[in-house]
Amino acid sequence: MALKSAIRKVRSNPHFLFVHLPHILSFICIVAGVVWLLLLPLNDYSRQTYISENALLPGQVHAYFSGSEQHIFRGYKKELEGVLEGQTAEGQEAWNDAFTPAVSDKIQSILKATGLKVATQNYEYTSSGITHQGQNVYAIIQAPRGDATEAIVLVAAWKTVEDELNLNGVTLALTLARYFKRWSLWSKDIIFLFPPDSKAGTQAWIDAYHDMQPAFVQPLPLKSGALQGGLVIEYPFDHRFESLHILYDGVNGQLPNLDLFNTAISITGGQMGIGTNLQEMWDHDDSYEMRLQTIMRGMVKQGFGYATGPHSSFMPYHIDAITLQTKGEGWQDEMALGRTVESLCRSLNNLLEHLHQSFFFYLLMQTNRFVSIGTYLPSAMLIAGNFTIMAIALWLRTGYYPGSQQASKPTEEQVTTTTTTTEKHDDKQAPPAKADASNNIIERQLALPLTLVVSLHLLGLIPLYIFNNIPHQYYPTATYTSILANFILPLLLSATLSHTLTPHPQQYHLIKSFSLLILGLFLSTLATLNFSLSFMVGLLCAPLSFIHRINPQTTSRPLRYILSTLALALLNVLSPPVVLLAVCWYFGADVETVLTQAAFGWDVWGVWTQVVVWCVWWPAWVAGCALVGFSLFSS
Amino acid sequence: MLTPYSGLLRVLPLLLLALTATVSSEHTSNWAVLVSTSRFWFNYRHLANVLSLYRTVKRLGIPDSQIILMLPDDMACNPRNAFPGTVYSNADRAVDLYGDNIEVDYRGYEVTVENFIRLLTDRLDEDVPRSKRLGSDAGSNVLVYMTGHGGDQFLKFQDSEEIGAWDLADAFGQMWEKKRYHELLFMIDTCQANTMYTHFYSPNIIATGSSELDQSSYSHHADNDVGVAVIDRWTYYVLEFLETQVTSANSKLTLGDLFDSYDESKIHSQPGVRWDLFPGGEQEGRLRTVADFFGNVQNVEVENVNATEPGSLQEDLIEIARLVNKWRARDQAYLARQNESLVSKDASAHEESSPHYTVRTKVGPAKMSEESTWQKRLVGVSVLGACAAVWLTGSILGGTSA
Repeated sequence: MALKSAIRKVRSNPHFLFVHLPHILSFICIVAGVVWLLLLPLNDYSRQTYISENALLPGQVHAYFSGSEQHIFRGYKKELEGVLEGQTAEGQEAWNDAFTPAVSDKIQSILKATGLKVATQNYEYTSSGITHQGQNVYAIIQAPRGDATEAIVLVAAWKTVEDELNLNGVTLALTLARYFKRWSLWSKDIIFLFPPDSKAGTQAWIDAYHDMQPAFVQPLPLKSGALQGGLVIEYPFDHRFESLHILYDGVNGQLPNLDLFNTAISITGGQMGIGTNLQEMWDHDDSYEMRLQTIMRGMVKQGFGYATGPHSSFMPYHIDAITLQTKGEGWQDEMALGRTVESLCRSLNNLLEHLHQSFFFYLLMQTNRFVSIGTYLPSAMLIAGNFTIMAIALWLRTGYYPGSQQASKPTEEQVTTTTTTTEKHDDKQAPPAKADASNNIIERQLALPLTLVVSLHLLGLIPLYIFNNIPHQYYPTATYTSILANFILPLLLSATLSHTLTPHPQQYHLIKSFSLLILGLFLSTLATLNFSLSFMVGLLCAPLSFIHRINPQTTSRPLRYILSTLALALLNVLSPPVVLLAVCWYFGADVETVLTQAAFGWDVWGVWTQVVVWCVWWPAWVAGCALVGFSLFSS
Repeated sequence: MLTPYSGLLRVLPLLLLALTATVSSEHTSNWAVLVSTSRFWFNYRHLANVLSLYRTVKRLGIPDSQIILMLPDDMACNPRNAFPGTVYSNADRAVDLYGDNIEVDYRGYEVTVENFIRLLTDRLDEDVPRSKRLGSDAGSNVLVYMTGHGGDQFLKFQDSEEIGAWDLADAFGQMWEKKRYHELLFMIDTCQANTMYTHFYSPNIIATGSSELDQSSYSHHADNDVGVAVIDRWTYYVLEFLETQVTSANSKLTLGDLFDSYDESKIHSQPGVRWDLFPGGEQEGRLRTVADFFGNVQNVEVENVNATEPGSLQEDLIEIARLVNKWRARDQAYLARQNESLVSKDASAHEESSPHYTVRTKVGPAKMSEESTWQKRLVGVSVLGACAAVWLTGSILGGTSA
C-alpha cells in the first residue's frame, strides 16, 4: 500500500516525473554501470577459464622439438647473422638490421632448401605522408595426408612490435619449418610468414590472402585453404627467457576465441612449465586491484582498437591468432619456445572446424580468469541506457509538460498537475480525441532540432577526414586548432541561432533529446561490438545528460553566466581533442605519434575508433556545448 | 520288458551329465553387433573401444560374417594419425587393432540411428547385402556393444542425432517378437550409460553399463604420440578380464565372474548390471559363461539336433519314433532274410555265436527274438532317447521362460 501511495504521489507531481526522475534514473544508471564494472574482478562475478572445444586436446602430445634441432637452429642463426654482418657498413658497432633483399633471399633459400614452396609479396602503404613498404616472404608446408582446405599460419616478423630485431624468433620459425616438414600428421597446411615489420606486413598479406588487398599491395602468388588459426613468435633477445607474454587484442577490439588463449595458457603453463603474463602485468598476485588493472588495460587496448601485434590483423577475417612474446631473464631457451609452438600447432591441427565453442567477447583479468559478455555487458548498456532514458524523458516532457513556464508559477502548476493526472487516469476509458482536446498536449516543432543534430553529425566527417589525411607533422597543430574550434563552434552556433531564429524553449529540449537519443542508441549497439569503446565514450559523455540550457526566466543573469561558464569549462575539458591530449600526457606519448598511428590504423588496419569519436561523440558534445551556449545568448 | 528301463537307468547318469553340460549352451549361433557412435579425431578412443571388442569376439571364435561392426569414422586413415593405417587401444601400441583382417560393415555416415534400428529389427531392403544384416534367429545369442557420447537415456550418434532408451528397448522388443535372439547381452560404455537399459522390457536380456545416472565415463589413458585418449576405463577393464582370463572359447568363466571383476576404484564410475529380464534372474544369469556371448558355439552335434525351433521339439520326437519304427521294420525284414538263409544251420551254433548272432537266429522262430533286438539296439535308442530328453527338458526350461 505504501508503494502504491508513493507511486500515486509521483504521478501527481509532473515536475518530479518529467524533470527530476529522469535525472535520478540517469544518474543511477551511470553509477550502477561503473559499480558493475568494479564488481567484475570479484570471484562471484568472474569465472575460471576452461577449454570448450573438445578437439583441441591441449598438451596431450609429446613435443619432440629438441636435441639435434638446436644445432639446426644455431646453423640458421649463423647464416642470418652472416647476412646482417655483410650488410652492415665497416666499423659500425650495431648491425644494420633492416629487412633487405639479402635477408629476404637468405630466408627464401633456407625455406627452399627445406623443400617448401616459397613466395614473396611486395606492398606499399602511404599514410599521413609516410610510406610503409616491404616484402613479405612466406612458405607453405602442404599437409602430406590432408586436403588443402585449411591452414594454420605461423608468423615471425623481422621486427617485433617494439621494433626490435626478432632474430631468434625468425630463426626459430625457420627451424620449425624444417622440423614440421618431416611430420606426416598435419591435417592442415602450415604457412610460415616472415613479414619485415609487425605493423603493415601481416595486414598486407592477410588482405591479399582474401583478395581484399588495395592496389598498392601485390596479390599472393601462392595460397592455401581457409586459415584456422595464427601464431606469432617474438624472441627479440639472445639470452634465455623467463616467461611468455601473450597478446590477444585485435583491431577494433575484436578478440580471438577464448579457447585459443586458453590452449596457449594450458600448454605453456601446464605442459611446458613456462610462466605466462597478459596485458604487461608482470607481477600479478591475483588480488582485486591487479585483476581490475588487468581488465582496465585490456579495455583501454580494446577501446582504442589498434593492432597490438601482427596477430591483430587476422581478427577482422575471423581468424583467431595470438602473439607469444618472450619476456624476462630465466632458464627457458628457444627449444622450449619451439616445443610450445609445436604443441600449439598440434592442438590447432586437431581442430575439426573453426574455433567457435568458446567466447569471442570476454575480459581477461588473469591468465585463468575471465568475465564473459553476459556478465559485463550490462555495465556499458546501463551507461548507454542513461542517455536513452534522458532522451525519452525529454521527448515526453516536450509533449506533455510545458516545464519551465509552469515551474515559474508554482500555484498554477499545482492546478495543471491535478488535471493532468486525472486526465491520465481517465485515458483508458475516454476516447483519445477528447483526451487530446482537454489535455495540454503541445505540438512539437521538430525542424530546427532535427536539422541541427543531423548536420552536426555530418559535420563530424570534416575532422574525421582532416585527422586521417593530413601529413603527420601537422597533427599537433591540427589538435590545438581543433581545441580552439571546439571552443568557438558551439558558442558561434548558439549565438547565431538564438539571434536569427530565436528558438522556442521546447526546441532546446528537443535538440538535447535527439542528440542523446542517437548517442544512446549508438552506444548501446556499440557495446555489443566493442564494449570498452562504448563504455569509455559513454563515461566521457555522461555530463551531457545533465547539462541544459539554463532558463533565463528562472535564473538571474549573473548566476546564469557563472553556471554556464563553469559548464562550458567542464565540457571543454571533456572534448575529444583535450581528452586525446590528456591521454597522451598520461601515457607519456607524443601526440603526433599517436595521431600518426591512428591514421595508419584507419588507412591500413581499418580501425573505426575515429568514426565513433568524430561522428558520435563529437556531435553529441557540440550539441551539449551549444545548449549551454544558448543560456548565455538567449534573453 | 524290464530291460529298456534298466538300460535307461544305466544311461541316466550319463544323461544327467549331458544335461548339465548342455544347459548353458542351448543357443545355436552367436552374433555380435559392435557400435561406435562418434566421429572425429578426438573420439579416437570410442573407435578403439569397439575395435578391441571386435578383436576379442573374433579371437573367441565369432566369424566376421556374424559380426556387425559399425564405425562412423576412420581413425586409421585420419591425417592426424601419427601412425597411419593403425588404431591402438593402448599406449604400448603392442596390438594394431586395425590390422589386415578387419571387416567394417557400416562405415562413416551409414552409422545412423535408423540404420542401427533397421539392422536390429531386420527392416532392410532386399538389396541390402548379407554383410549388413543381422542374420540371427531364435537360437542366436546376440552381443550388442555400444560406445559413444551419451546422457540421461540417450546416446548420441555422429553429432547429429541420438537414440533414446525407449528406441533401443523397442528395437529389442521387436527383435524378440520376430524371434531374432535367444539371449541378448547388452553392453554400453558412455556417460550415464546405465540409463540406456532402464526401459528394456523384452525377456532374456542381460544388460550392463559403465556408469550411473549423472556420472561420466572416463577415458583410461592417452597415448602421447597419437595425442589422444586411446580407450575408456570400463571397456579397458572388461577387456583386461577378457584378455587375461577368458583365454579360449572353452573358458568356463561366467558372466558373474566378469561382472564381479568390476572395480569402481579403477573404473571411476559405478557400472551397473540388469538381470531382471533374464529368466531365473541374477542367479541364472550369472551362470551363463562369457563364451556364450563372446564366443562361438562349437558343439556341432548339439547344433544338429537343435536345428529346428524349440517349439517343434514334439515333431522331432515323433520323427525319431517314426525312424525307430522304420528301422525296426527294416531290421525285421533284414532278419527275416537272414533267417531264411540260416534255417539250415545247427541249433547248437546259437550258443557258440556272438550275441549279435544269437539275436539274429533267435528272431526268426519266435516272438522272443523281439526282446533280443531291443537289447541290441538299446545303445542307439538310448542315445537318441537321451538326446531327446535333453532337448525336451531344455525346451521346457526355455519354454517356461518364453
